[in-house]
Amino acid sequence: MNVNVESTTPIYVQIADWIRNEILADRLTADGKVYSQYQLAEMFNINPATAGKGLTILLDENILYKKRGLGMFVTVGAKDMILQTRRNETLQQLARDIVLEARRLSVTDDELINLIQKMQRGECQ
Amino acid sequence: MIQCTELTKSYRGKQALAGVTCALDEQKIIGLVGRNGAGKSTMLKILAGHLKPTDGEVCINNDKPFNNLTVATNTILIEEAMTFPNNSDVAHILKSAEKFYPNWQGDLAKKLLSYAGLSPKNFHYNLSKGQRSTFNLIYGLASRCAVTLLDEPMNGMDEAIRSDMYRAILKEYIAHPRTIIISSHHLKEIEHLIEEILLIDNGKVALHESLEHMQQYAVRLIGQRDALEQYRTQANILFEKQEAPFAEMVVQAQTLTLNEQQLRDANIQVLPVSASDVCKYVTAKSRGGIDDVFE
Repeated sequence: MNVNVESTTPIYVQIADWIRNEILADRLTADGKVYSQYQLAEMFNINPATAGKGLTILLDENILYKKRGLGMFVTVGAKDMILQTRRNETLQQLARDIVLEARRLSVTDDELINLIQKMQRGECQ
Repeated sequence: MIQCTELTKSYRGKQALAGVTCALDEQKIIGLVGRNGAGKSTMLKILAGHLKPTDGEVCINNDKPFNNLTVATNTILIEEAMTFPNNSDVAHILKSAEKFYPNWQGDLAKKLLSYAGLSPKNFHYNLSKGQRSTFNLIYGLASRCAVTLLDEPMNGMDEAIRSDMYRAILKEYIAHPRTIIISSHHLKEIEHLIEEILLIDNGKVALHESLEHMQQYAVRLIGQRDALEQYRTQANILFEKQEAPFAEMVVQAQTLTLNEQQLRDANIQVLPVSASDVCKYVTAKSRGGIDDVFE
């Protein structure tokens, strides 16, 4: 397996994302043990400290928890947390883009809200 | 711990190192980067005790490396100019290494050499440039020295053996952690391997940061020339380019007084800057790069 070193996304962020995806895909499950920083370093061909930073992000987000001397495990409810965050982020980004585009086209607030409400009711395609 | 204090080295009046001060932690892989002639090799030679500093001090675990037996047995410098006796073959060189290095791993050396297709019957001077680099690096890994200094270790190696050797360094490091300082012109190539970057420029430390901090050190702003122009005073500019009607500015992230949202609202794109680009911009002679020459 390989991380994308050409990408401008830092390697440790890519590692955190990969683990989040493994949780979403149910390959890592609640209370299950997660790869150690050394396993990740071997798997992805990266410095163990970099792998460790990826794990620390998830520890800080409470997606993982630590058992002293045993390693890191997936928090119960981690999958829902990831889903929730992704939903919020994606939706917010889309909303931001809509607002910017509306401004460019001089669409008023009311017009925009109307449009969204119509969409919700299925009145336009 | 390696501590350098105001380290200078002059060759015939020309300063190769002009006051290097830094502290390097044990058991990390550190990337030593900088332009050609920045002082990387001189620095490594001083750390290995091959050169005596003109002024200033360097301590490796409280020992000064020059003329010091403790440092000599626990430190190895791998470089292109390494010389081995002309009348002995590879097998003989490996055999004598046992006497120099207390942690010498003869088996590991043999296995790696056979993987790389280097016969123990070869003479060092008969090896091609790439093969010699491969042999030298294997020698360096097998010595398992607490301080392993690698000066452009991949010079001349072909693409395939290069990535194998990077992997070998990593696997050896994971199994037997040690301080590894690796110099390279190509930061991109060693980025996955290192934890910290020491950027040398004109014989001085330009930046010493973790890889993560380096990747957040700068941001690239792209937008309409007029839109960007009003932010000129809002940050420390590292690089700029104008390709009308667009303009581009690379600024030090810490000095930027506006947040990303404010910039985006002003139709300015905010992009991350890779660690190797940060090094390029920080050590650039002018803020416009090569384009300035043709102005």
